[in-house]
Amino acid sequence: MKDDYAVIGRSVPKLDARLKVTGQALYAGDMKFPNMLFGKILRSPHAHARILKIDTSEAERLHGVKAVITHKDVPPKKYGVSPARRDENIFCIDKVRHVGDKVAAVAAIDEETVYRALKLIKVDYEELPAVFDPIEAMAEGAPLIHDDFPHNINVEVHQSFGNVKEAFDRAFHVRTDTFLGHRTYHSPLEPHVSIAFWEGDKVTVYATTQKAHYLQVDLARQFDLPLGKVRVVCPFIGGGFGGKAAAMGLDFAAVALSRLTGRPVKMFYDRDEMFTHNRGRHRQIMELTTGVDRDGKILGIHANFIMDGGAYTGNGIATAYYSGALLPVSYEFDNFKYDMFRVYTNLPGSASQRGHGAVHPKYALESQLEMIARDLGIDSLEIRLRNRRKPNTVTVNELGVNSCELETCIETARKISNWNEKKGKLPRGRGIGVASGGFVSGAGYPIYRTNLPHSVALIRVNEDGSAATLYTGAVDIGQGSNTVLCQMAAEAMGFRHEDITVVSADTERSTLDFGAYSSRQTLMSGWAVKKAGEMVKEKLLEMASKMMNVEPEVLECKGSEVFVKNNPTIREPFGKIAREYFVKNGILMGQGSYTPPKLGGDYKGAAVGTSPAYSFSAQIVELKIDEETGEIDVKGVWDVHDSGTVINPALVHGQSHGGIYMGLGEAIWEEVKFDENGRILNPNLAEYRMPTALDVPMMDSLAVEGFEPAGPWGAKEVGEGASVPTEGAVANAILDATGVLMDTLPFSYEKVWHALRKKEKAADKE
Amino acid sequence: MYLPDFEYYIPKTLGEACEILAQSDGEARVLAGGTDLLRDMKNDVGVPKALVSLKAIQGLDQIAYVAGKGLVVGAKATHNDLAGSSLLKEHYAAIPETARVMANNQIRNRGTVGGNIVSSVPSADLPPIFIALNASVTMIGPHETRTIPLEQFFVGPRRSVLNCDEILTELIIPDQKTTGSAYLKLGLRRSGALAVVGVAASVVANGGRIDHARIVLGAVAPTPVRAFKAEQILVGNSVTGALLEEAGRAAADECKPISDIRGSAEYRRDMVRVFTKRALCKALQLPIK
Amino acid sequence: MMEGIEHTTSGDKRYAIQLIVNGDSYDIVVKANALLVNVLRDQLNFTGTKKGCELGDCGSCTVLLNGKPVNSCMVLAVEADGCEITTVEGLAHNDELDTIQQAFIDHAAVQCGFCTPGMIMSAKALLNDNPHPTEQEVREAIAGNLCRCTGYVHIINAVLAASNKDKKGV
Repeated sequence: MKDDYAVIGRSVPKLDARLKVTGQALYAGDMKFPNMLFGKILRSPHAHARILKIDTSEAERLHGVKAVITHKDVPPKKYGVSPARRDENIFCIDKVRHVGDKVAAVAAIDEETVYRALKLIKVDYEELPAVFDPIEAMAEGAPLIHDDFPHNINVEVHQSFGNVKEAFDRAFHVRTDTFLGHRTYHSPLEPHVSIAFWEGDKVTVYATTQKAHYLQVDLARQFDLPLGKVRVVCPFIGGGFGGKAAAMGLDFAAVALSRLTGRPVKMFYDRDEMFTHNRGRHRQIMELTTGVDRDGKILGIHANFIMDGGAYTGNGIATAYYSGALLPVSYEFDNFKYDMFRVYTNLPGSASQRGHGAVHPKYALESQLEMIARDLGIDSLEIRLRNRRKPNTVTVNELGVNSCELETCIETARKISNWNEKKGKLPRGRGIGVASGGFVSGAGYPIYRTNLPHSVALIRVNEDGSAATLYTGAVDIGQGSNTVLCQMAAEAMGFRHEDITVVSADTERSTLDFGAYSSRQTLMSGWAVKKAGEMVKEKLLEMASKMMNVEPEVLECKGSEVFVKNNPTIREPFGKIAREYFVKNGILMGQGSYTPPKLGGDYKGAAVGTSPAYSFSAQIVELKIDEETGEIDVKGVWDVHDSGTVINPALVHGQSHGGIYMGLGEAIWEEVKFDENGRILNPNLAEYRMPTALDVPMMDSLAVEGFEPAGPWGAKEVGEGASVPTEGAVANAILDATGVLMDTLPFSYEKVWHALRKKEKAADKE
Repeated sequence: MYLPDFEYYIPKTLGEACEILAQSDGEARVLAGGTDLLRDMKNDVGVPKALVSLKAIQGLDQIAYVAGKGLVVGAKATHNDLAGSSLLKEHYAAIPETARVMANNQIRNRGTVGGNIVSSVPSADLPPIFIALNASVTMIGPHETRTIPLEQFFVGPRRSVLNCDEILTELIIPDQKTTGSAYLKLGLRRSGALAVVGVAASVVANGGRIDHARIVLGAVAPTPVRAFKAEQILVGNSVTGALLEEAGRAAADECKPISDIRGSAEYRRDMVRVFTKRALCKALQLPIK
Repeated sequence: MMEGIEHTTSGDKRYAIQLIVNGDSYDIVVKANALLVNVLRDQLNFTGTKKGCELGDCGSCTVLLNGKPVNSCMVLAVEADGCEITTVEGLAHNDELDTIQQAFIDHAAVQCGFCTPGMIMSAKALLNDNPHPTEQEVREAIAGNLCRCTGYVHIINAVLAASNKDKKGV
């Protein structure tokens, strides 16, 4: 089937690669507008403090400063990602809730003046007791962070399916383990930037955002503007990973300052400010209980989690549900209980980060499953095969799965990693571990309640058919959505992809699309593009049938040529037909839109976790431990993915490598650390250690043959599913190498050393 | 980020440079590669009122053998100059090896030997191996020039005996008998990582018997420290696994590590034991383990 | 070699310096605290060089300074006076891409692209010195360039492929 495609399945070069390798691609930080000012936000030095007084007079007097604003100068409305949790102000009004919280902003003629002006703003604070741990925050007498949330409980989830107690009672073996997941941060290479300018009553914002539409909606709401008076444009974006996925203080401040000054204002964060803004992966305490029968088949799981949500909710409300919702996807079982408290603390907010909520819980489950396998003497791959999800099944929490090649993924991973030759046979200090992965291919429900379609696409062919433009609101944050959607447009139209220009991620000049999150664009934006392309082709073939004097049904179009299917020597160029159509109709265009069907159950929180399709994967990690120092040397990683039909193999594998890379980083090297006053100790790229090229091995990525009926041409996601299993695979490899279960992330060298020394002492005692 | 304002001088001679430093009342800093200095200034740490650039002063970056003195490394030699020096590779291979594990390639093209020494950062990688090789440093002031053993240069974290009107101009490695030397560091990733622990060793061995040993520990005390007891354990004895282990334990007792975001004191102490053994193995050209 | 110029109104000192960027000479006036990366991006409009961390930790700002890769965020413009600087904009020959640039395109080594200019400059310096590096040597050369998207896999493939291309006697 794949060989029939003209451009689907081909590793065409990324559309923007040339611009990027020549330095021509303009990112928001590169953009300059006439008369532009620069702006930055003043941030709180305290974790929890009342604001008594803000004196901006000296800052305002500094030569070159054009405006200094505080909460008095912006709408006092609270904002947030979900209407249910609007808990954040543009600038704090009565108190600050974390080190780095937003207090004021300055616009000035150059960057240096902005920095100087920030230093001149005088704020009188009254420090309040602060709390940095979710359990302490829930306890009696803890400082209250938000008035409306007693005990600092931000989100509470209690979901129950089947009967776990009964399942545990009849289980052959039950294990309860507690795992600690840590705070990590997306740390894209590109810092956040937001540029705003007004033309009359319309504001345009060039933002480093993954979601142009949602930002547009949030800005319109905040400033009481009609949607049509807010235009959001995404320039080239230097990575998001879930960290550029919600409206930020920078965006609101840019809009306010540009209105006030009458000039474009470019707001930006430095690297350390990115860390204090954060909205990265939650720290979470995960108590997991799993009961299995004597064959290791899971009978029930109880996930009892506490999440450190930080000071604001943002996307975190969805994370709270995702943390449990996706646990039942890889493996089949009939009893599931999910209890979760997401708690406010006086630390930067946590929210969505690649794999959104599913990553730490997956590590917990995969580690526990590994221990269960050891307890029962079952092979690691075997226990996963016995529990694997099968196609066309429904999870215990009512998530419908169509295609699922998990079995093939596991068996293929076994082969390409030489698992059978290695497991149990590696020299001392070396280990191999496995975990399954996978993720949603787009969230089944929008972030705010709306009946708008999730993706819309428009294709317009030019007057002589020598080029076409694809309009899509999808946002290319580096994953290559523009390229993949261009391939899809070309395939659907029968047009040469080289002749298609993509206009994307501009709420005014492209189309509606919810943007890049929950790995939705290949499937959802793709459907809209496919329909748009098919409409163009249909109109074209209708015209061609008249011109070529045949029935439309006998015609096909490929590579910008129309031909008779069983006599391809009878052919006409696309352009000739298109021109004729253009002359007769004034425009040749096609449109398409996509809304997912109603998905999921009716219980509270059921919407989160739903998706038209799920990717699946198996990931194997082999590593070597220096037993004296605890140093971890990752020798190999093999990822086998079921992404359905692969639209662009090179891009899919690139995403897989990147997902593994982030997974390894978070598993071993990365952690956001705080001091006793809630200040980040390592808000820089020297001490927040992302792996360098010397730290990670070559990675093997393979995609299995698959077809997802709910996906365009059978396609599903890969971008997040590849980072979901890595922490678990690394933990299991360390377990295999050392016999030690690592129950606290990250698996730093010192932690491994400590665990090994503890094990030796225990062995000595015996 | 931005740099605060500062006076900027480009003296043409060392004498001129020292004059400016002398007149600046301790408020001026020497600028060579700037990789440490600019970082501090951007982070608002110890911001000087003036920078005295060494840009125009010729001849401070040579690596050459000077008869009667030894192997002389100019203070402006960069870490990549060290890494690529065939002279060093031939005589003291541990030095280019050490340079190669510092920071990253871009920093190594700017950062200088002088800067790494003068910064007096306890985790600096060059001081331990230089001290193990008996190095001395020359400092030029407005009135006098002095040369002292590098071992006596460091006073505490970011503090040295260098006066505020002096400039460190060269490092001298005297002719010496050495069977081998090595520096090994524990970093938390393989590039761009400060030493959690660093151990340098230089030995003179005869047919498996150690005649002479210098062991220097970095990142585990306010300054680089000699592991004297470990050295004494080795001298006069034949190399065995047990001897190296004993030396490692002794070295571990001689350091004063702190706990910080890179590691606990307990971990560091044990790593001194491990890395002392390993550095000695490497210096003795024995397989590690 | 260089004299400070008094700025008559404010009394701030300014320095006239010459930067030879991508083969062309630029005479510009800067303050002592001006960083090379900002001068390249803002005054000379070479925005290909990126700012990712401004502390020399990420390599996004890598340029060649007299042929050697450095973090331009950690170099004062005044210190670069009279130096030859190569930025990513200086690699292509008119419309013809450098072998490394083409290899990055062909091997899908570009995802978000933010690390790409700095990465390519480090690779360029490597291949200038060592035309046929091993995989390990490539990793060492780019160890100071952080990438969040690719896991370095396609990047290393691209650099090795570029080195092989040059083998063919180009």
